[in-house]
Amino acid sequence: MRHDFLDKYSRINSPIHRLPSMAKLWISFSLVVAIISIPLRFFFLFPFIGGVLLGALLLSRIPIPFIFSRLLILEFFTVGIAMLSLLRPNGTMLFIALMTRSTLCLFTVILLSNSTPFAELLEALKRLKFPPLILTILALMYRYIFVLIDEMERMTRARESRSFSVNRRSRWTLLASLIGQLFIRSTERAERIYAAMSARGWK
Amino acid sequence: MHIPDGFLDPKTAIATSVLSFSGVSWALREVKQRDVQRKIPLIGLAAAFVFVAQMINFPVASGTSGHLLGATMVAVLLGPYSAIIVMSSVLIVQCLLFADGGVIALGANIFNMAIVTPVSGYGLYTLLRPFLKGERGRITAVAFTAWCSVVLSSIFCAGELAWSGTVSWNTAFPAMAGIHMLIGIGEAIITALVISALSTTRPELLYENSQSLSEHRSHGVLVYGMLVIVGIAIFVLPFASPWPDGLEKAASILGFEEKTPAHSLISPPMSGYRIPWISSFATATALAGLIGAFVAFGLSALLARILTPASSQKNMDAPHAP
Amino acid sequence: MKTAVDIRNLHYTYPDGKIALHGVSFSIREGERIGLIGPNGSGKSTLLLHLNGILPDPLHAPPAVSIMERPLDKTSVGAIRRDVGLLFQDPDDQLFCPTVYEDVAFGPKQFGMQTAETRAMIQRALEQTDLLGFEDRSPHHLSGGEKRRVCLGGVLACEPKILALDEPTSNLDPRGKRKLKEILRSLQATQIIATHDLELVVELCSRTIVLDQGRIIADGDTIELLGNEALMLEHGLETPHILRHRHPH
Repeated sequence: MRHDFLDKYSRINSPIHRLPSMAKLWISFSLVVAIISIPLRFFFLFPFIGGVLLGALLLSRIPIPFIFSRLLILEFFTVGIAMLSLLRPNGTMLFIALMTRSTLCLFTVILLSNSTPFAELLEALKRLKFPPLILTILALMYRYIFVLIDEMERMTRARESRSFSVNRRSRWTLLASLIGQLFIRSTERAERIYAAMSARGWK
Repeated sequence: MHIPDGFLDPKTAIATSVLSFSGVSWALREVKQRDVQRKIPLIGLAAAFVFVAQMINFPVASGTSGHLLGATMVAVLLGPYSAIIVMSSVLIVQCLLFADGGVIALGANIFNMAIVTPVSGYGLYTLLRPFLKGERGRITAVAFTAWCSVVLSSIFCAGELAWSGTVSWNTAFPAMAGIHMLIGIGEAIITALVISALSTTRPELLYENSQSLSEHRSHGVLVYGMLVIVGIAIFVLPFASPWPDGLEKAASILGFEEKTPAHSLISPPMSGYRIPWISSFATATALAGLIGAFVAFGLSALLARILTPASSQKNMDAPHAP
Repeated sequence: MKTAVDIRNLHYTYPDGKIALHGVSFSIREGERIGLIGPNGSGKSTLLLHLNGILPDPLHAPPAVSIMERPLDKTSVGAIRRDVGLLFQDPDDQLFCPTVYEDVAFGPKQFGMQTAETRAMIQRALEQTDLLGFEDRSPHHLSGGEKRRVCLGGVLACEPKILALDEPTSNLDPRGKRKLKEILRSLQATQIIATHDLELVVELCSRTIVLDQGRIIADGDTIELLGNEALMLEHGLETPHILRHRHPH
């Protein structure tokens, strides 16, 4: 239960959470397309969209600080690139437009992913005729992220309790051996999962 | 390097989506050819592995930290085709679950980080391997390729942003490439350390050593060639064509500290300066890139020397080792 | 009564050359519940993987294993995987779907059953393992005992005639163990339980097979074998406490 941080609020109960995932997927997608294609002379539409998203956030009962901290983390790279646009002619306008658009898009997707369990998103993608192979891989990946994080935490703890002096070089080698070990365990687990899937008739 | 939504214009978003779609379909077709049932769990787990490995931060200069991209590592371990699917899955989950990277920009992000990196990484690796022999050669090649693939990926990212008119090429290119030449060092070190550890303890895990998959190996060179062509098509063409406002941007690079847009508006295109300016900018960039690549290669060779004891080298085929 | 499992002179060598099974032969009647015990590395898990043709990979002829009086070969392996349900040691390996329901439904869907029939089977499996209400949960939100029950549910949903269980009680707290024992006791299927939990064997199985270094050391009545302290100690095992109280020395 410790890895809730990944999609902690996607399973709570609210009017937004109860919406069919397919509808949410389409609404979000159309909204993103709209946000990036509305010409700047209709700038007044952006605060309006922002207001709608805020309303949805309130309805969804997801804690507001949680959503905003997510948003803030993701804004870093956004600001980084947007800064480069300041160097263009009319840079300020461009900067403001970029920041507004990308923030609204981020907001939309964050709302979507935090109000829809990943399994339901995959189900919706399946109905949209996504390649089944990719969907199987995505489902497996999502499932085992949690297991691998656990495994990595256990390895880190075991290592920390055994290592005393940590200089720069040994920190890198420790990190690398951790990653290497994690890869070995992943491949071994993949073998066992393959056996378990075959045992239940997978073909 | 995840491009958010709003930074790409329709033509760039569509072009990169088409490229990604065909790249991923091609990889899927290759993976499906043999024993796909066994590969699916492996690819799924490898994707989870990359996702988790990307969460581990390593220290970069001056208190900042970077994280692994992992594309070259996965390509060397699982081969380029599986690596494309692994990296694409990672990007899809990051986009849908964390809004890390835009939805419309997903095609571009997949292209930069899930196609360019593993394909160029693996292609370059196969190109270098005949010249760099033995375990030391392998590690040199791995480290250098990892570095190159990260830098290349960032260049594509800059190119897409510039093509969209979001930033100018002359700003984005040095900024992105420069930062990623530094970040690439971390990537190179971690990738080399991991591959070096795995190739001594579990050599059968490396793609080039796995007998069952070996028939695909020769494709790598072909892949690399194709990539270079696509790369040239995308970058050199727009660079050669009159870039909308490359000049003004170049000016503002010189006066980088003056961030105020008002100053960068010294736009009268001083036609007299045009040719020398571009050429000096291009030469300077090319020179910087070349020096960077040489330094990276030297560091890679040094890293390989540190990581592989002389004794293990002797067992392989020592004479040609760098 | 049919013979559920028949194994004749089974050998298996790992790809790295290590011998895992060395001429194993035994047979199990339908409805029997037997314990498979032995020290670590004795070949218990490897043996279980042979029961539905996961090993050897690829299957080789002539088959050493017969299930429900049908030799396990390339043509029968699909049907036999339906007959033999395998519960793996680590529930995380077996719980590979994003939700409990999908996981329990995985087997029936793979075996190509009609939807109404599938739903009924899944429902039954959820009831048998006491998992109603868990359908939409993600595996990473479950406790160890719950995970184990979902795995069992996924196996039972295929309605196997034979259950092969690898360490079903490992990492379970006493309550989880009790619940699992109840479920196993209520099932009609033939069961082979590979375990270090000797109390479990005493409680559930009338017959026990002792495996060590890939060979069958003993095969017979549970109380008799587990009560034989010399035999137990020689093979890295020990007489469980419940038996000590029954037969004080």
